[in-house]
Amino acid sequence: MRRKVGFGAVAYWGLNAAILFFLLSPIAIVSVFAVNPTPYIAFPPVGFTFAWFAKFFANPDFVHALWLSLKVAVAVLVLSMLIGATAAMALARGELPGRRALTAFFMSPLMLPAILTGLALFQIYLLAGIGRPVWGLVMGHTVIAVPYVIRTTLAVLANFDRRLEEAAALLGAGPVRVFFEVTLPLIRPGVIAGGIFAFIVSFDQFPVSLFLVVPKGETLPVVLFNYMKFDLDGAIAAASMVSIALALGVVILLEWIIGLRAYLKF
Amino acid sequence: MRTSQPTRRQVLRAGAASAAMLAAPAVLHAQTSTLKITTWGGKWGEIMKGKVLPAFEKEFKCAVEADQAFPYLPKLQASPRTDPIYDVLHSNSNELWQAVELGMVERKITTKEVPNIADVYPYAVSDKIVGVSIFTSAIGLGLRTDKGLAPPTSWNDLAAQALAGQRGGYLVPVNALGQAHLMMLGKIHGTGFEDLDAAYKALAALKPIKLFDFTGQMEKALLSGEVIMGVIHDSGIFRYDGQNQPIEFAAPKEGVLALEQVLNVTPGSKVKELAFAYIDYMLRPSVQKELAEGVWYSPSNKTVKLDAKYDAKLFNTEAKVAQLLQVPWQWYNARKDEIDARVQRILKG
Repeated sequence: MRRKVGFGAVAYWGLNAAILFFLLSPIAIVSVFAVNPTPYIAFPPVGFTFAWFAKFFANPDFVHALWLSLKVAVAVLVLSMLIGATAAMALARGELPGRRALTAFFMSPLMLPAILTGLALFQIYLLAGIGRPVWGLVMGHTVIAVPYVIRTTLAVLANFDRRLEEAAALLGAGPVRVFFEVTLPLIRPGVIAGGIFAFIVSFDQFPVSLFLVVPKGETLPVVLFNYMKFDLDGAIAAASMVSIALALGVVILLEWIIGLRAYLKF
Repeated sequence: MRTSQPTRRQVLRAGAASAAMLAAPAVLHAQTSTLKITTWGGKWGEIMKGKVLPAFEKEFKCAVEADQAFPYLPKLQASPRTDPIYDVLHSNSNELWQAVELGMVERKITTKEVPNIADVYPYAVSDKIVGVSIFTSAIGLGLRTDKGLAPPTSWNDLAAQALAGQRGGYLVPVNALGQAHLMMLGKIHGTGFEDLDAAYKALAALKPIKLFDFTGQMEKALLSGEVIMGVIHDSGIFRYDGQNQPIEFAAPKEGVLALEQVLNVTPGSKVKELAFAYIDYMLRPSVQKELAEGVWYSPSNKTVKLDAKYDAKLFNTEAKVAQLLQVPWQWYNARKDEIDARVQRILKG
């Protein structure tokens, strides 16, 4: 029997297709620009070249910035998972006075324009006489990234069945063992999901980095922005493609190492 | 047991050695002074980092920290006045005027601090400049040569009906070329650079117009044919010389606008002498020639001898320099918010 396709189904798929098109079309345009030989955006493309990728990798400023961005993002991922997960545990379990206010406080970096956070940190660093070290940049990114980990971990903790911990304790496990063998594996999907957000937020971070980078120590988004002011050619598109591929690679790597699939099942 | 008494010579030698040891940090400091500057990216940045700055570091036995990451002014403003983040600010004239109003740069630089100022064209140190202009570009009109257009002779040619939707300008609130062009419209259609009513009316007549943030975007729009005539500085066109691109620069008869590259020293700099030495170095004929021919900027130093193809196009003689118009940035900056709001309303949609 032939199944009748209703208006609702057509509208549903149509809307999904439109959203997907809206989300992916910038990437498609950038990828075309990255392999098109013309030094400007032209459609349809007039040929195919890897010259822009060669230009990107031959430019030491780009390569250095790419590595710096990657290193900073990895450091931010680790730090924000540690800080965010412990903060979320304290907020969910600690029965702290002013818990709501504390949660709002931890989330506040997301509500402030990031450029103000960058400017404020820049002033603090200069007033404290510490200049603009790389660890200062990492701290700046971490401030922005931690709320993501807190939010995703709190979401997991809200549905956490505490009887599992009680059962483990009744069977003789100490608090440390309960945490590492029961609590942590169960909250892990939330922590990892937050960590991935943290990595991406750091890797693409522009407003905070703008104030905290130093000459010869600029992150990729800052280098790209400055490059764009003077040379708007396909190297920018190639850099974007490398950046997207790298971010995707890290997500896949995390999935492979820690198991993001657990989150998808969750 | 016999003990030997130190001789007078030994005592003096030991004293000298001790003094040298005590002075060593100061000497070391002098040798490793760091000069913090701002500079552009792109081809300019390549030449600076590749040749100009290393040669300066070698000659003056110092390190140069060159910041290419915008925005310079907010960073300078946020740093302590007594220990500013930059010793030398390189920017366009509009930004230097903002900086001087905030007390973040010196008002004037003279030959006393920078001897090479004696050789610059008067525009480089005119009352429209805060500091010294080391180079300038000329803002005029860029056009496609393959679209059957007659080269424009006047700024008014940009308003031609045939160019509707294919002419290009800038987002006035964020771009100095857009701001200078607006003032030019006031001069052509009204009583002068400060005639805003005439400027607004002339700007509205340019609609529909494609607007860009940066000159780099305008260059690409001209190269792609998205724009067939637009406001641009000469170096943005000349840099494609020899690449067989169908674009050309035209200097309107009413004059071209100066887009000066200005250097100035911050009052709180801890290495002021080095900062002035850097400006002097940037005005040296050899450095001026290197950069002028690398990025097609017109040198401020009158004694610079350019190669024939650059000499033919750049503004490097008294007669050519006389065509450069300098706009009143101090006046403009004082009204910027009001102008931005009005321009946004005019160009909305």
